[in-house]
Amino acid sequence: MEFITESHYYRVMPFLLEGLVWTLLITFVGLIIGFVLGAVFGFARLSKNKIIYGIATVYVEAVRGTPILAQILFIYFGLSDLTGINIDKITASIIAIAINAGAYIAEIVRGAVYSIDKGQEEAGRSIGLTRNQTMRYIIWPQAFRRMIPPLGNQFVISLKDTSLFSVIAVGELLYMGQQYYGMTFQAFQALTMVCVMYLIITVPTAVYLRRVERRLDV
Amino acid sequence: MITVKDLHKSFGSNEVLKGINAEIKEKEVVCVIGPSGSGKSTFLRCLNLLEEVTSGEVIIQGDNLTDPKININDVRSRVGMVFQHFNLFPHKTVLDNITIGPIKVKKMKKAEAEKVARPLLEKVGLSDKSDAYPESLSGGQKQRVAIARSLAMEPSIMLFDEPTSALDPELVGDVLAVMKDLAEEGMTMVVVTHEMGFAREVGDRVLFMDEGIIMEEDVPDNLFGNPQNPRTQEFLSKVL
Repeated sequence: MEFITESHYYRVMPFLLEGLVWTLLITFVGLIIGFVLGAVFGFARLSKNKIIYGIATVYVEAVRGTPILAQILFIYFGLSDLTGINIDKITASIIAIAINAGAYIAEIVRGAVYSIDKGQEEAGRSIGLTRNQTMRYIIWPQAFRRMIPPLGNQFVISLKDTSLFSVIAVGELLYMGQQYYGMTFQAFQALTMVCVMYLIITVPTAVYLRRVERRLDV
Repeated sequence: MITVKDLHKSFGSNEVLKGINAEIKEKEVVCVIGPSGSGKSTFLRCLNLLEEVTSGEVIIQGDNLTDPKININDVRSRVGMVFQHFNLFPHKTVLDNITIGPIKVKKMKKAEAEKVARPLLEKVGLSDKSDAYPESLSGGQKQRVAIARSLAMEPSIMLFDEPTSALDPELVGDVLAVMKDLAEEGMTMVVVTHEMGFAREVGDRVLFMDEGIIMEEDVPDNLFGNPQNPRTQEFLSKVL
């Protein structure tokens, strides 16, 4: 047993588990907010109102057209420079994931709603449902099923994106690995285990999504 | 019951309806025939404002649909519509497809709505399918569920947009039989169809449309037996 407990593969683990907790927390909270943003802006992108559509389009394109690394630095340093208010690193990270994923989720929502056959809306309206009722009871449930695979995909992307927050010294998974090899110079072992930790989350997610996708196909 | 006055409809610069005038009386079954692209489906869809009217008037039971203040949801709940491609809700069971209208629009309780739905399912011959999902049904069964879904709102008018055009030939008969029963019960019906046999047998009146206008209208025996307009003659010679 000793060769295991003495190895750096093992000794790095307490660091990484702590990092993993932060990684998952930032990802989950960020994505929940991101989903709300995505739903709001996704519907705005479907709006016939040019102003609403315009605002949503500017948001989506601005976020998708800039790197997330620039976004986190902007939120953490840029905004506090402008406003003089310092926000803590975890909050900044959650905001960054929310805003970033929100833009991509907006496109997922828009695409899924748009993909539902026009006849569904016509059928709903023709029995007297209002526009909102048709969306809520007819279109949205069908669109949401189609959103599950791309949302899962976004979860994996956002999870990996949290590693970039190591630049503002958020104690997430990658940062904790760096801390460990900074002290021990065991970069190979530490980074191997960092990658293993990411894969433990991402691979089962991908497998699960493929199964969901196949089930939705039929 | 339905009055249409000088109805025009354009899609961009393409004028599809060029001045339709029609009067449909209570309990009348009016069949609309004509070549594809003649505007007959667009005409039908204007009758419950699934297409926005460019100009002219559509008056249903005294309600002018072109009045901007009209509550279109209320009118639509009184005008049933059956589509060529059924448009059943795939995420809902057959029974839920039928009850969603009464529950959400008429604010019925679920049990109450099911009391409305079950006799309708029986009427269209699908009592045993109430818990099935649409994907497990044949085209003819889907269309009969769609008819039951419309009837659950107890409409006073039913619109049919080529209800049998997407069906395999051997499934057409069941759907037409349900429609014939409805007609015999006194439902006011407007049916866009390619089923000349149905139009002839069940229709009280047949409208022949071409190039965005009603070219000729008459009782079926006259229109099919002795058409006056050369376009009607030409069309009928091709399809009969």
